[in-house]
Amino acid sequence: MANLADFKYTMESCNHCGQCKWILPARMKGWDFASVCPLHEFHGFDAYSGQGLIQIAKERLDGKLEYGDGLETLLYACPACGACDINCKSVRDMEVLDTIYALREDCVEAGYLPEPLRRTAANVEETHNIYGKPHSERFAWLPPDFRDDPEADTALFVGCSAYRYPDIALAAIRILRAGGVKFKLLREDEWCCGAPLWRTGQREAAEKLIRRNVDTFRRHGIHTVITACAECFGSFRGGYPRYADTEGLEFKHITQVAAELLSGGKLRLRKGDEPLRVTYHDPCMLGRLSEKYVPWDGEIRPYGLHVPEKVWRRGEHGVYEEPREILRALEGVELCEMTRNLEEALCCGAAARDVDPEFAVWTAAERRREAKAAGAQAIVSCCPFCRDALGSDGENALPYLDLTVLLAERLKEEA
Amino acid sequence: MALSAQAYRELAAIVGERYISSKQHILAGNRVRTPEIPFDYHSADAILLPGSTEEVAAIVKVCNKYGICFVPFISGTLPDAYANRAGTVLIHLKRMNRILEINEEDRYAVVEPGVRHVQLYPEVRKRGLSYTAASVGPGGSVLANFTSTSGDHHTQYGSSRANRYLLAVEMVTPEGEIIRTGSLQGGCGWFCPDGPGPSLRSIIKGYFGSHGQLGIITKAAVALDACKGPAEIRTEGVSPHHRVYFDSDLSRVYVFNYDNIQNVCQAMLALGEAEVCSTVQKYFYLPLTLLMSDSANDFWKKWTSGYKEAMSMPLVVHIAAQSVREREYEEKILFDVVRETGGKRLPEELENWWTEHMDYFMVVSRLQSVLRLGGGWMPIKLGAESVQHICDVGESIGEYIYEFTETGKIFDAPENYQIIPMEYGHFAHIELLFMWDRTNPAAMKGVGEFRARSREEDLRRHFHAEDVGCLNPTLLQLGPLYSNCHIWMQKIKESFDPNNVANPML
Repeated sequence: MANLADFKYTMESCNHCGQCKWILPARMKGWDFASVCPLHEFHGFDAYSGQGLIQIAKERLDGKLEYGDGLETLLYACPACGACDINCKSVRDMEVLDTIYALREDCVEAGYLPEPLRRTAANVEETHNIYGKPHSERFAWLPPDFRDDPEADTALFVGCSAYRYPDIALAAIRILRAGGVKFKLLREDEWCCGAPLWRTGQREAAEKLIRRNVDTFRRHGIHTVITACAECFGSFRGGYPRYADTEGLEFKHITQVAAELLSGGKLRLRKGDEPLRVTYHDPCMLGRLSEKYVPWDGEIRPYGLHVPEKVWRRGEHGVYEEPREILRALEGVELCEMTRNLEEALCCGAAARDVDPEFAVWTAAERRREAKAAGAQAIVSCCPFCRDALGSDGENALPYLDLTVLLAERLKEEA
Repeated sequence: MALSAQAYRELAAIVGERYISSKQHILAGNRVRTPEIPFDYHSADAILLPGSTEEVAAIVKVCNKYGICFVPFISGTLPDAYANRAGTVLIHLKRMNRILEINEEDRYAVVEPGVRHVQLYPEVRKRGLSYTAASVGPGGSVLANFTSTSGDHHTQYGSSRANRYLLAVEMVTPEGEIIRTGSLQGGCGWFCPDGPGPSLRSIIKGYFGSHGQLGIITKAAVALDACKGPAEIRTEGVSPHHRVYFDSDLSRVYVFNYDNIQNVCQAMLALGEAEVCSTVQKYFYLPLTLLMSDSANDFWKKWTSGYKEAMSMPLVVHIAAQSVREREYEEKILFDVVRETGGKRLPEELENWWTEHMDYFMVVSRLQSVLRLGGGWMPIKLGAESVQHICDVGESIGEYIYEFTETGKIFDAPENYQIIPMEYGHFAHIELLFMWDRTNPAAMKGVGEFRARSREEDLRRHFHAEDVGCLNPTLLQLGPLYSNCHIWMQKIKESFDPNNVANPML
């Protein structure tokens, strides 16, 4: 990872044009749903935006700003969804989100990590999951007759969400089995992916855990890690290379695997009972933030020349199409798109729930409002945290369907 | 000067505690510096987010009562949007973001300040209408576009400067009075900027809008043009390589390269005389290369591998037609004019870029990529005169720019200026956009020197190329040449703003 000084160029390059807050014109549809930064939309002040956080980072770097008066709450209310980053990078060579991550590291070093996030970190340290549940129960949902493919070099990483939503893990298993994919589970060796640590700036703890996980994959002879959790997937792809050498490891989301199986004719599906019009919500960590992070340690010369050349993550190569391919394959399911989709998707707000619950609840309701405006009867996604947020009670209630579960329920037969 | 507790309480009582802050980290979000502009930046004492005209008026009255300066702003892109002295509050108008009316018959829209281009533009387009948006990107305020700058845009060839589209407005004077101008005051609607009610158009509009510091415009009606093109825009792919598609039967983009600005001038005038094409512009080729680049590194590869030579003086033309016959007619004239004036079609791959990025012609979504070289940029001149006059200005740049480019003080090229003919060639706008190295603190000196030299050269040649602007050095130098406008501006300012609290001029 890096520190604030590494992003001085970004801080000095910002022309405060506001592109980090608004939908790109190529996607504009009208007055409504034009903002891509829920934090700014809800709180209003520019400090609550990518542009504002860059200014704040610069003042922290210059030693002109202190924590303790609410800055830390602002910083972690930001869901770090990356919309600002991708929008900025559609035209600029700046690292908005990485500057925010570096600011979080700075906050942690200053001793101001908000209490709810400390608790989560303690849970991960003590029980290897974010909820503080006994590690021994991580696979308690597993059917007794489940058997690993012992020789498989592919692992299904179920993630901490299996404590809350075992149906997702079970659905992933059904899909892999139906498609004839050989895989195994890591069982007691599977620990939290580390997302709640590295995404909150807890560098040391994140590094330790991520290295441990990578070692575990290697020790089990794993080459491919499949997960049904967008947060785990985004961490593997966008976070792990910051802390560990992941060379030779391939990370896949279950929707990528399923889409491949579908296109290869390896999954047979039955028709649904009722026609259903759904919209798909792109999870941030599966979409714009799932591009592989390629470490860069070079020099920025005058007029922006990066030496050696940098591999940019501009959100272009996220997992966007595969979930839609799956939905299109489900007979009776009609897909309608929201205005803010693909790399411009509005975050569900889940990451802010512990620090700024009012904002998190508003954001989820705003996303559901958009889904309803698109004419959807249900909102589909494939991230357990999006499920927490969008599936919760609140304004603009709308049924939430997990894509992995939806697909598994349509399987005609299993291998 | 810190805000007194009493003043803060009174301001908070107006907007509510949620919409005011004096916390340092909130202020820091707007404590930006624009190193290109020689302001001494100060921190605001507070930022307020009013939700209505009445709240704005009440805030302004409190500011007058306590001698607090106020700066209204929306997007915050320009340096005028920040505190330039101690004892200032920022009034962020983003919550006032309603589109109040789109009148299709009379072709106008009424908006509050917080409405952005990405919000209004698609709404009017759905109705077969359009407007000319300044090149500020998606988050630019529509109202500020028409009231506070001239709002020059690449598509103004068939239309005009944005300030000419301003109709009636509602505004809060620097002392806090709510007034309505033109037809609005007499209850006759938003359609006219002048009588029977008070006409302040000449005072509030134009370059001296945001710089004239005459209060806060809270609602504005703007005239709309007819739009040739699809009501909804079809986009494919994912940023930054998404593609915008128009019906190729009705929409075509052509880019021609010239070796002589006088020939470009003749082409512009001939096309204007024929009143064909919807966009005609002599584009900057350095920003053009930037627009086509994926990164700064990619820019340097392209810049040093032939792009510069291939596009040294590009004339970009967009034809938008209602029918194939109309398109063919305009193409025929265009090709005749280009042949007669010595233009040459650019390679297909370069021309295709424009075809696939039609969003550029709408809200210039990619404009910020001209800042990709580290953010150090400076648009100068910005004046408007006859097409011939402006082309002469452009031609003269090559006589003095080399000593700045070849010594590395600025990064530019001799023909790298933009000329946009407006109203079908009845007048034209020039912009010389050069880059400088923001990572080098000493570079600002070169920027200042080049600006001054550019102004001196224009004055020496009796060119009307330099925007009078709002900064004292420019204003004091150019004011006497413009009927002492700086003195008149000051007198108007004193009459309207006796306490000198409305974004005081430097």
